[in-house]
Amino acid sequence: MRKVLFVLLILSVLVSLGVAAKVTIWCWDPNFNVAIMQEAAERYKAMHPDVEFEIVSMAKADVEQKLNTILASGVKKGLPEIVLIEDYNAQKYLQSYPGSFADLTKKFNFKEFSPYKVKLMTLNGKVYGVPFDSGVAGWFYRRDYFKEAGIDESELRNITWDKFIELGKIVKEKTGKYMMAGDPYDGGLMRILLQSAGSWYFDKNGKPYIKDNPVLKEAVRLYKEIQDSGISKEVSGWNEWVAAFNNGDVASVITGVWIVGSIKAEKSQSGKWGVLPIPRLNLPGAVNASNLGGSSWYVLEHSENKDVAIDFLREIYAKDVDFYQKILIERGAVGSWIPAQNGPAYREPDPFFGYQRIYLDFTDWMDKIPPVDYGIFTYEADAALMGVMPDVYNGNLTIEKALEMAEKQFLNTIGY
Amino acid sequence: MKIRKSENIWGWVFISLALSGLLLFILYPIIYSLYLSTFSTRGYLKHFVGLGNYKRLFQDSNFLLSLKNIFIIFIIQVPIMLFLALIFAFLLNNPKLKFRGFYRTALFLPAVTSLVAYSVVFKMMFSTQGLVNNILLSLHIIKEPIRWLLDPFWAKVTLIIAMTWRWTGYNMMFYLAGLQNIPLEIYEAAEIDGASKTVQFFKITIPLLKPIILFTTIMSTIGTLQLFDEPMNLAAGVVTGSSVGPGNSLLTPSVYIYNVCFKYVPNFGYASAISYIIVLIAAILAIIQFKVAGDRK
Repeated sequence: MRKVLFVLLILSVLVSLGVAAKVTIWCWDPNFNVAIMQEAAERYKAMHPDVEFEIVSMAKADVEQKLNTILASGVKKGLPEIVLIEDYNAQKYLQSYPGSFADLTKKFNFKEFSPYKVKLMTLNGKVYGVPFDSGVAGWFYRRDYFKEAGIDESELRNITWDKFIELGKIVKEKTGKYMMAGDPYDGGLMRILLQSAGSWYFDKNGKPYIKDNPVLKEAVRLYKEIQDSGISKEVSGWNEWVAAFNNGDVASVITGVWIVGSIKAEKSQSGKWGVLPIPRLNLPGAVNASNLGGSSWYVLEHSENKDVAIDFLREIYAKDVDFYQKILIERGAVGSWIPAQNGPAYREPDPFFGYQRIYLDFTDWMDKIPPVDYGIFTYEADAALMGVMPDVYNGNLTIEKALEMAEKQFLNTIGY
Repeated sequence: MKIRKSENIWGWVFISLALSGLLLFILYPIIYSLYLSTFSTRGYLKHFVGLGNYKRLFQDSNFLLSLKNIFIIFIIQVPIMLFLALIFAFLLNNPKLKFRGFYRTALFLPAVTSLVAYSVVFKMMFSTQGLVNNILLSLHIIKEPIRWLLDPFWAKVTLIIAMTWRWTGYNMMFYLAGLQNIPLEIYEAAEIDGASKTVQFFKITIPLLKPIILFTTIMSTIGTLQLFDEPMNLAAGVVTGSSVGPGNSLLTPSVYIYNVCFKYVPNFGYASAISYIIVLIAAILAIIQFKVAGDRK
């Protein structure tokens, strides 16, 4: 009996030696990046049956918490091979945990990816990630509502924000619908506005650029203008926001392309929607294109099967055109690997959007997004700015004074 | 009675497991975070700053705002909640009351619901087009919907209502337990002397419950200082969740600690310093409460 056990033990050791490499991946959206990673894993397994995948779906905040605590503790165990990181956070992780992420500079041809995505994951001339989905912004609008308001679609193309607000008032008056919906204390629109003019909360050297930033000043003015004009339906929280356009309360939505899935979820509105380039700021250098959100894949330097993980990302995310067509059709994911954009799915007219070829438009706008260095303090700056917004809205503070306060508050928050 | 030496040793052996857990998971983190609070960290980079973090705290307007926020909540919410709990306990202690068990359960039930779940439900009920506004509108109490979670003032009101709903029953249980120890004869005697229910409440119930009132006050003070789940969930934002509630009106020290660790550039040293200041404030408030209400035996 003992002998048998011994043989079994030896066998099991042998088997475990021969067992496949396992790639663990952390990501957060079951209907989006998790599902997409599962598709990618299937494709890779078809070529390499010996590789196993474990795709762990967690809340985004949990991914960030786990990553932070494990990396900060200095333990090498317990980390996955691949982790998804939001683009705004990329530099924060790269700079806070130097040496923890694999240098991929020589492993990929980064010229094939959207430049603005590559830039945000570059530190000291080295690239540390694989660009994934784009957050290219669009102005989704209800064709029927604008028609009802007597506004011709040619009037909507490449306009300024002031014109947008003006049109919003007409829409509200004629149709009773709000032009848009939003939380007055959400920084999403702020980021769209800033990046569309190639600006951010920081200058090129990473120094805070809040008080004297003309783009930021204009953006805050527009926030107040939108609030005062009453064209925006106030919501708090994601669900209310999505409900506002699914219920048909608003005539348009300005946000990242990733919202397509949520808009299309309301099947009864098929054919009523269209997409336009976003309005632009009335400032030199501002364009009708911007970005909100988006994320990328990063490989952990000390993970067990790092090389397999890199090979996997290269084989699928930098080679498989068909994969990108599938995730575009099924999940509405606009990848940032440029060769994929020549694929057939990107040219497909979408009946939901009145047979508009929306993804052709989106990739066109994607090329125009001004690259911006997000730095490492985006969330701190956001909180400082939104902290003074109540006083801007009720007129207690002028915009200049408010920005001065926000900068002071921001400087107190950072500091290392 | 003297404990024999061998018994003493066995005593230590029996508690050693629990004790080592206590040392490892409670005492060690407490000491280590004190050490850590003298460093400024960015991820795993750190450098020694001595008391620098503590100095920085007093210039950090976000931290001061978070203190202001919980101070307002503390001043308003705790007295309302404890007073309500006391009244409910007093009413429910009346043996002649019918359906006592039902009322007790109904009042205590909120205390067993999950903090996150109830916060999310309150967020839904208090949305601009939520249940609460709809009821108030249809009863013609208000003309325009109240911007519960979109206005800094109303956001705090919502938080206070939510917390009062959640915690009143919990405190009521302490008072009920305390009331069981007050002999009914005292009330009977008072009744014969012609004292009304109100007089009984203020002259008998409150003085005799004083130690328990003190206990619940201190517990609620500490609870308010550590307030986390409710503001975190009530404030969950649209796309970015830039501020904690409108204009950071729901920012509490605990939420700020979380943000400093996980949302902002991770600075665990600074976060430790904030926690120590919170402990200090809790201790000071507890001492004051003891001095004001405690027995001078």
